[in-house]
This record gives sequence, C-alpha cells and structure tokens, in this order.
Amino acid sequence: MKNNFSLYLLVMSMIVLTATESIASEVKVHKNDTTGLLTWTLNDEGFQIELIQLLPDFIRAIYAKHGFPKDEIERAASYCVFGTILKNTSSQQLSYRVADWRYQTSDGQQYPVKTKTQWLEEWRKAGVTFSWTLLPDAGEFSEGDWQQGFTTIKLPRNTEFDMIFKWQLDEIEHTGVLEKISCAPESLPEM
Amino acid sequence: MKHILLIALLSISFALQADWQQPELSHNLTVIKDIIPAVDFELHDMDEEKIKLSNYKGKVVLLNFWATWCPPCIREMPSMERLHQQVDAEGFKVIAVNQMEDIDQVFAFTGQLEVDPTFIILFDKTSSVSRDYAVRGLPTTYLIDKEGQIRYRAVGGREFDHPEVIKIIEQLMAE
Repeated sequence: MKNNFSLYLLVMSMIVLTATESIASEVKVHKNDTTGLLTWTLNDEGFQIELIQLLPDFIRAIYAKHGFPKDEIERAASYCVFGTILKNTSSQQLSYRVADWRYQTSDGQQYPVKTKTQWLEEWRKAGVTFSWTLLPDAGEFSEGDWQQGFTTIKLPRNTEFDMIFKWQLDEIEHTGVLEKISCAPESLPEM
Repeated sequence: MKHILLIALLSISFALQADWQQPELSHNLTVIKDIIPAVDFELHDMDEEKIKLSNYKGKVVLLNFWATWCPPCIREMPSMERLHQQVDAEGFKVIAVNQMEDIDQVFAFTGQLEVDPTFIILFDKTSSVSRDYAVRGLPTTYLIDKEGQIRYRAVGGREFDHPEVIKIIEQLMAE
C-alpha cells in the first residue's frame, strides 16, 4: 500500500508543474512541488548540464527491465544516480570527458566520477552486455548536439556535495561547479 | 504482474519527466569534414529478413540508432516518418537501427505511436553495428550519400523533417 502510494505520488509528480528557483544567473534549481525531487542546471560557456535526482526504486526498475542480475541491480541502486542531460548550446565544438569531472565532499576532498567504461567492465564480469543507460564517457558535440544518461556518485543518501565539471570549447578548457547538490532520498516521504 | 506494472509506470513516469526536462529538438546536422565510408552491415528487419546497408548504394540513407526506452529517440521518430513520407523513396531511405531489443518489444512500441513507422527498422541485438559506427549514446544519426560515404552526423534528438534537413538530403540526392 505504501509502495502504491509512493508510486502514485511519483507519477503524479511528473505531470504537475514544478517550481523554479533561480540561485544564480547560470545555475537553476527546479523543485518538484509534490515529491520534492530536485533538478540542477548549469549553463556556462556553451555547456548546459542538468542533473535530475532519481529514486533508487526507479534505478531498480530500469535495470530489472533490462534483465540485470539482482546483485547488480542493488549495486547500481546503492549509488547516488542522476539523470543527466548534456547539451552544446554554442556554435563551437564542445568536448568533455567524464574522467575529468570530480565531486567534492564537505571536507574538501575531491573524487573522480565513475565512468561508463568502469561500470561496463564490472557488468561484463557479471554477464551483463547492456550498455546504454549511462552517460557516455566522452563526447564531441557540434552545435545542437546533446546526450543523456545516468551519472553515478558513490555517496550515502542525503549527502550534500559539489560537482565540478570540465569541458573544452574549441579546445579552450572551462570549469563549472554545481554547489550543494544531493542524492535523491531512499524513497519519497509519506504524506 | 505487480512488478511488471511498476516497471511500466516507472518507465512512463521517466518518459514524462525526461520529456519535461529535455531541450527543444533542433535541426542542425554536423558536416563530417573527413568523409569516411559507411561500414556495411547485415541485420534482420521486422519481417526477419536480412537487410544489407549496401543494398541501398545509389540512394541517400538516413541511418538512425535508437531504442524504445530512449525518450529523445521517441520524440524524433514522428519527424523521421514525416521525412520518409516527404522525400522521394526512389532516391532516399530512412533506416532505424534498434539497439538490443527484439521484434516483440518494437512491435508493441510502434503500435502505440500515432503514426506507424513505414521506414526500415533493423535489429542490432548485440550493438555491434553501433560500435562500428562509434555511437556513444542514443539517438545518433548519420546521413550517408549515394556513394556510401558518411557526410553528416547528429548526436541527440532532431526534427528531421525541417526544411533545412530536407534541403541537405535533396542536395545529396542531386550529386
């Protein structure tokens, strides 16, 4: 019953309007009125990235749908997973490598973001060949190009951290930060 | 049954969420500066018949890599069908290469679309063809000229029936 109600809230939440709060000129945070789930958008020097909080149950459902073993489903769901949409908003050539991105915890420590290649190596050992859910390791984007996929962060739920992105625009390197972002909760709060 | 329903609802919710989040589809195609030949392949279609890309040499081909669970793929598909209907079939083909799904899944999906796709759908069940084309994410689309050379590329969803895209295709057909 609890699950059904949470599911109802989740589905309803997707079709209601969301509140938009502008924190700064280049960073926006969207809060879903019903669920409280957040989306962060960084728009800077041709690089637009959205990080969308995803619930662990959603991750479980996605990987179950693609036939992943139970252990791998739980392992993926244990990560802090964001739906990620990355777009080149410039007319120049944009490139990125997930291996250059870092997340920084409140103690100032920085950690590399786990790449798709690293996940695929682990999944291959578990007999998984499906490879399409994660944000590609790298991209060369022309005007209008964009991609989406999951970004995974190995942090406990409700931990606040900063995401540090690097990208190149016509071979000039840029850095952008999304501050104080956080994982989705384990489940939606009961109403 | 409950589990299947949960998955279905979550998939729908993700599609709705993703649709809300996603950027507007543009019509930009990137010119490939160092033109390379399109790798030939042979895959099954919806009728389980083997189709080779090289069967269409002499025609311009829009080669699209996609999956039913990919929201931008779903969004751009109606524009692919409109493009297919608008441009001369004698000189142009749309080929949509599905990734790692089967005929039943795609059949169920296309049955829910407003317009049933009439272009060619092929099944790349191991993603080997997408690897040959260095496809990093879905959707990715290539425009191949009559000589079998890759001339344009689009990463992410597009409106393929935009007049600018049709103009490019007609230019390639006239070469």
